[in-house]
Amino acid sequence: MANTLRLYLTCIRNTLDAAMCLQNFPCQEVERHNKPEVELKTSPELLLNPVLICRNEAEKCLIEASINSLRISLKVKQADELENILTKKFLRFLSMRAEAFQVLRRKPVQGYDISFLITNYHCEDMQKHKLIDFIVQFMEDIDKEISELKMSMNTRGRLVATEFLKQFM
Amino acid sequence: MAGRAQEFVEADNAEAIITRIEHKSRKIESLLKQSRPVEALKTALEGAPPKTRDERCKSATWIVVHRAIMAIKDVDGMFSSLDPEYYDILMKYLYRGLSTGDRPTCDQCLRIHEKLTEKAGLGCILRCLADTGNTV
Repeated sequence: MANTLRLYLTCIRNTLDAAMCLQNFPCQEVERHNKPEVELKTSPELLLNPVLICRNEAEKCLIEASINSLRISLKVKQADELENILTKKFLRFLSMRAEAFQVLRRKPVQGYDISFLITNYHCEDMQKHKLIDFIVQFMEDIDKEISELKMSMNTRGRLVATEFLKQFM
Repeated sequence: MAGRAQEFVEADNAEAIITRIEHKSRKIESLLKQSRPVEALKTALEGAPPKTRDERCKSATWIVVHRAIMAIKDVDGMFSSLDPEYYDILMKYLYRGLSTGDRPTCDQCLRIHEKLTEKAGLGCILRCLADTGNTV
């Protein structure tokens, strides 16, 4: 089980290493504009093949690259309804503070839980291997965070229920 | 316009290609029965239709390659006997396998992907991403 996680993350790391070759490319259609091409998808010659890496039926990672930007969308494993709600709320909390993360996208791509948008400017300011480390570390930590949240929620629920039902004993 | 002409040519060839693929899959089944999974994989990757855009041909080839990939047990041994010219096309099929989402396929593809990246390097992955003309 842990082995597939390691293989999954290695695969994603290698693919990101290869795909994160970004350079500045001003918009071809409009003068003086500079847009992330992966978001607009106006010119097919600027886009690379999107790659979908699934670990199993529930978890997957979509990597779309272009000449000046790279979009990574993640779908996190959600075992039951409770984890579903926790994941949605937690990742929405992060996405709303996307300014602080810089590489985070405010809205996840349709069908995924969270998305990153890395542009050539990010690659110029920050080191490429550190960006990749960040993404992979994020994926590892998300699972831990969600299980921690779930456990604390269950504990709290149990305590509250015990206290509440004591009055009926 | 040239694309339109190519489509007509392919419609005729599609049937020919599909019969060729069926022929190949029979050969691969026999190779797998003789427990030669690496040969089976080589046969599967060899005639990979170069410029066909017909989805049926691509899925037919994918089914055959998938069968060969799942039959491989010893990944390191496979690389010692697989020629480097097959690395790129194998990488493309691995990504196709990873996109299916089926657990055993993904497990096997992830295992092979790690070893293949070590062998072939990041260039192999990048060629796979950049080749928008011959998708698999």
